[in-house]
Amino acid sequence: MLSLIVFLPIIAGLVILAVPSSQKQIIRIVSLLAALAQGVLAVLIWRGYDPALPGITAGPGGSPLGSFQFVEKVPWISLNLGGFGSLNIEYFLGVDGISVTMVILTALVSAIGVLSSWTIQKQVKGYFILYNLLASAMMGCFVALDFFLFYVFWEIMLLPMYFLIGIWGGPNREYAAIKFFLYTLFGSVFMLLVMIGLYFSVTDPATGLHTFSLVAMATQTNFNIPGAIFAPENHLWRQIAFIVLFVGFAIKVPMFPFHTWLPDAHVEAPTPISVILAGVLLKLGTYGMIRINFPLFPEVFQASMFVIGIFGAINIIYGAFCALAQKDLKKMVAYSSISHMGYVLLGLSAGNSEGMVGALYQMFNHGTITAMLFLLVGVIYDRAHTRQIDKFGGLASYMPVYAAVVTVAWFASLGLPGLSGFISEALVFVGAFSSEITRPIAMVSVLGIVFGAAYLLWSLQRMFLGKRKDDAAYDLVVGKDGHEHIHFHDWNGKLDLDGRELAMLVPLVVITIFLGIYPMPVLGMLTSSINKLVQVLALPL
Amino acid sequence: MHSLIQLSIVVLLLPLLSFVILIFFNRRLPRRGDFIGVGILGTAFGISAYIFWSVIVQTYDPAFRVAWDFTWIDLGNVPGVGPLEIRMGVVIDNLTSIMLAMVTLISLLVHLYSTGYMAGDKNYGRYFAFLGIFTFSMLGIVLSDNFFSIYIFWELVGLSSYLLIGFFFEKDSAADAQKKAFLANRVGDIGMWLGILILYSQFHTFSFEQIYANLAAGKFALSNGWLTAAGILLFMGCVGKSAQFPLHIWLPDAMEGPTPVSALIHAATMVAAGVYFVARIFVMLTPDALHVIAFIGASTAFMAATIAITQNDIKRVLAYSTVSQLGYMVLGLGVGAYSASLFHLVTHAFFKACLFLGSGAIIHAMHHEQDMRWMGALRKKMPWTFATFTLATLALAGLPLTSGFMSKDAILAGAIGFAEVEGGGIYYLIPVLGFFSAMLTAFYMGRQIWLVFFGESRTHLKPADNHHQAHHAHDSHATHGDAHHGAHEVHEVSWNMRAPLVILAALSVFAVYSPDPLDGAKGWFMKMIPTPATVVGEANPQIGALAAGSVAPQHAGVVRTTEVVPPPVVTEHAAPAAAHGEAKGGHVYSDPRQAEIVHAGHAAHYTAIYISSIMVVLGICMAFVVYVFKIIDPEKTANAIRPLYLFSLNKWYWDEIYEATFIKGSMVLARMLSWFDTNIVDGIVNGVATLVRKFAFANDSFDRHVVDGMVNFTAFTVNTTGAVLRKLQTGKVQTYVVMLMLVLFGYFVFYFTRLIY
Repeated sequence: MLSLIVFLPIIAGLVILAVPSSQKQIIRIVSLLAALAQGVLAVLIWRGYDPALPGITAGPGGSPLGSFQFVEKVPWISLNLGGFGSLNIEYFLGVDGISVTMVILTALVSAIGVLSSWTIQKQVKGYFILYNLLASAMMGCFVALDFFLFYVFWEIMLLPMYFLIGIWGGPNREYAAIKFFLYTLFGSVFMLLVMIGLYFSVTDPATGLHTFSLVAMATQTNFNIPGAIFAPENHLWRQIAFIVLFVGFAIKVPMFPFHTWLPDAHVEAPTPISVILAGVLLKLGTYGMIRINFPLFPEVFQASMFVIGIFGAINIIYGAFCALAQKDLKKMVAYSSISHMGYVLLGLSAGNSEGMVGALYQMFNHGTITAMLFLLVGVIYDRAHTRQIDKFGGLASYMPVYAAVVTVAWFASLGLPGLSGFISEALVFVGAFSSEITRPIAMVSVLGIVFGAAYLLWSLQRMFLGKRKDDAAYDLVVGKDGHEHIHFHDWNGKLDLDGRELAMLVPLVVITIFLGIYPMPVLGMLTSSINKLVQVLALPL
Repeated sequence: MHSLIQLSIVVLLLPLLSFVILIFFNRRLPRRGDFIGVGILGTAFGISAYIFWSVIVQTYDPAFRVAWDFTWIDLGNVPGVGPLEIRMGVVIDNLTSIMLAMVTLISLLVHLYSTGYMAGDKNYGRYFAFLGIFTFSMLGIVLSDNFFSIYIFWELVGLSSYLLIGFFFEKDSAADAQKKAFLANRVGDIGMWLGILILYSQFHTFSFEQIYANLAAGKFALSNGWLTAAGILLFMGCVGKSAQFPLHIWLPDAMEGPTPVSALIHAATMVAAGVYFVARIFVMLTPDALHVIAFIGASTAFMAATIAITQNDIKRVLAYSTVSQLGYMVLGLGVGAYSASLFHLVTHAFFKACLFLGSGAIIHAMHHEQDMRWMGALRKKMPWTFATFTLATLALAGLPLTSGFMSKDAILAGAIGFAEVEGGGIYYLIPVLGFFSAMLTAFYMGRQIWLVFFGESRTHLKPADNHHQAHHAHDSHATHGDAHHGAHEVHEVSWNMRAPLVILAALSVFAVYSPDPLDGAKGWFMKMIPTPATVVGEANPQIGALAAGSVAPQHAGVVRTTEVVPPPVVTEHAAPAAAHGEAKGGHVYSDPRQAEIVHAGHAAHYTAIYISSIMVVLGICMAFVVYVFKIIDPEKTANAIRPLYLFSLNKWYWDEIYEATFIKGSMVLARMLSWFDTNIVDGIVNGVATLVRKFAFANDSFDRHVVDGMVNFTAFTVNTTGAVLRKLQTGKVQTYVVMLMLVLFGYFVFYFTRLIY
């Protein structure tokens, strides 16, 4: 099941390879079908998932079964290294509450991304092959339970992303693409070193051999090689490993001060890639922290909660202020992403169930809400060929449906109750405040609630309320019915949202509202895993 | 589930249904579906009236309370806490049933009124949808049994307020006002949210009942300062929502919304939600927190009243009056006059809604003229409006035989009692400010009545150049506008706008609330809403000493210090009393300070009546002197005290102060951080990249020049040597013989020089 959901897009990519590049529509439809099939599988996984099983660590007897679900585990690479022992790499997939929510999110955002890619005209074949490769790699990262396999997916992901930004991006695309690539690569090089060190420090209780299994690594008693680099008594090396991994993942989040690749990447990336980037890719950073960084080095996590919380708060407030100053709408949304990912960091730093459930839920909600925001930015960019906030005004009178969806998305982003973002932010604050370590940070971070509202409402006002500005990116014309309409220069499509755009946005709006009123469908899958994680992290050593 | 609970949930959801139907389908319905809004609200009011009847009239029990809740979020077995759930629920007690009836009634009347007032607007259907979601959110606040859901609905009323203030969003002033309102409220909300978090972090629950029971049992593990802080932070929510100083600035601007909205949201219900919330948390407020609340309320009441006397816009006068009256309610809660304060909430809701709807009728009839300077002599033309407006004005000013008289005097009596118990001094400032504001209220309302309804019509005096601008700057609809421009014929409004005025005016008469026009305490309202007993003890040891006669001294202040096990006297009385939101018969308070204040408040009842009557009469006389008899010319007076006049006219310059500090400051900070981000943070990244590239180029040149250079040099050397040596390989025997000779010659020279030396 999990293999299928991971490799479906790659299969679609192979099919596309056989389609002549002139058959654009077929290529698109193949991709869409693969994405829809992935969605169906995600629903099946969701329905078949048993929320009672905790995950995180191995179940009774050291086997991942009975703790993880949909497990697939076969030996992949076995090498005899002579004096070093043997290298055992497994093809090991499985989900627990933390990953299953991300699997569903990935399937959802990928499908919406395909719809959003419909308007791509340049080298359609190459685009969709890369897109499908990306979709596979992302999904693979979330279900891989072998560190080596995770690393492989993690690195594969970089390649299509680089080309998708570098070829299909905006004017400054090469700069943005190379920045993104180098930044992420920088993080993952160190990850590789730590991974190798971990391999030689951990044994799998089931086999007694060294292992890359993240499940085995999550249990501290498996660090049982005396004198190994990451053995429990080797505090310094464990701290270094934690920091190195953390920086690697923090770049992806992105956490201040490693965040500057994000606004550039977003501004240059085409709309669907922005959606994928903000909707899924950023979550890999925090997912990596939760799956790898924290449970493998719980004592270092315990010691660094305050620092992580500080960085979370900086992200929240700094991101909000930077967003307030932006003139480009997409850049504003990019900075709002930085701000909102700060809530995830803050929730994680609390180290208690409320905070961590909030953080995970925030990851899911940020995925849906920010996807919506970027799609909406894309809608207006398609029409006006500009994203300068000052070039609009009074749009609500002329594009009422668009304005209504924007209002929902904007209010979801600023954390209005009744919409999903509120519950996750609220839980993050509840958790962060309940922990005595992060309480002062939580008290400062609430400022993000005000400034988040400030930049969103201000942009909403400048673009949608009031009247058309004199230098607006569109003209006012009096239509046949005697009413005023607006006209965009190079746009022959429907003025307000068309069917395809509604098909992308309406599901997200519905999910946002539904999960804002009744969050349990997602939270229910999370709670037992998170409670287990909190136990693992609090384990006295 | 209790049948009343079921009914209340139906009442809660009906307006939401109205919203959903109207937001999606209003254009497909006849009359844009306004009848659906009115009909649904009518049903909701009918059910609420039934709840009111069965709770207040039939049961007539001060301790009445039914509650129901369900699991909303289940966090499972949380390590360190145990099974943890976030529950949502509904509570019905006397206060709730009164508020339910009040909110649905006013909302119904406003719906009805709006069918006349908003007729012809291009977004007519959307308007009713927004009214629906507002009513839903407001009812949610009223019914909530926990902090979390009250916060949710709190923000949702903020949203509805945002949507309705900016209903004429094409006007920049409306768009500014809606943003301002939302942001000012959010500032208050973060305080409220932190207050909630303080309580949650201690008890892992949001429920009012459980939190108060835990507090009463002395389980609050943090210091008493945190408890006071929690109270003040929670009160910040009220400061935002009820437009208290220093966050009052949004409410006057909120008048950009349609006038019926001002009546419903920004006068009668939503802004009173802050007061309602403070009433809900009243039992956990420490004396220190209460002092802060009392002073904030008193200063708000006074400040807003001083601003109201110079405003020219009919709605702005009422807006500042609302701020001032909300200040009274907050003051009342701060001094412990709980019942009086809530009484004033209800009476104010009716008479202020009446005033706003009346002003709406005037604005409607005057074709969107809002400036009182250009009105006058409307008494004859609009007799119904005049009569109801005047009655409501009398209630607002606090003249006997009106509802406002009873409630305001009860608050002021409480303030006197409070000042006496607290030992006088600075605390007397609170009743003094209260009485002084009462005089100002009478004055500005007298001024308003006179300017609008009496004297000569001054429509023609309006400066022409100003006219066009003003027209657009005011509450205008698209289809009205210039069609009526020239013809300023004023008529009484139609029945659907008149009926609400009459009903609301009727509810401003004393008899509705109490048989004795001089004493609200004899009426059903104050009997049904007794002051609940506090669950936190004393913070002021002086008061503890004062009450030494009634309660043993060591019992005073027990709950504050967690080391001391609470003695039975507190847990037995205070806890259940708090849990049920009431005090047992005869209003016996286990807390000595509270008992003192309630007692002193009763004793001060007649003092308050005398003083306030004098102040009100003074105020009215002043209005007569200035505007009726024209003994004092207002313009000359204004010029004589110009700085003071400008200070009031410009609303104490709060907008300018905030603009210069917080707003400018935030923008400057935002630009600085953004600059920092692009130039420093990203600069470092790009700098590192440049350095790496420089290094790479240097490396490259080292590679090419040094490493490769050495390789090439070797080759060069070999090459050169070869080239030189090649010259020797001529292949001619003669050359070789010459070279041999040269070598031999050299050898001999060397050999013989060795021999000689």
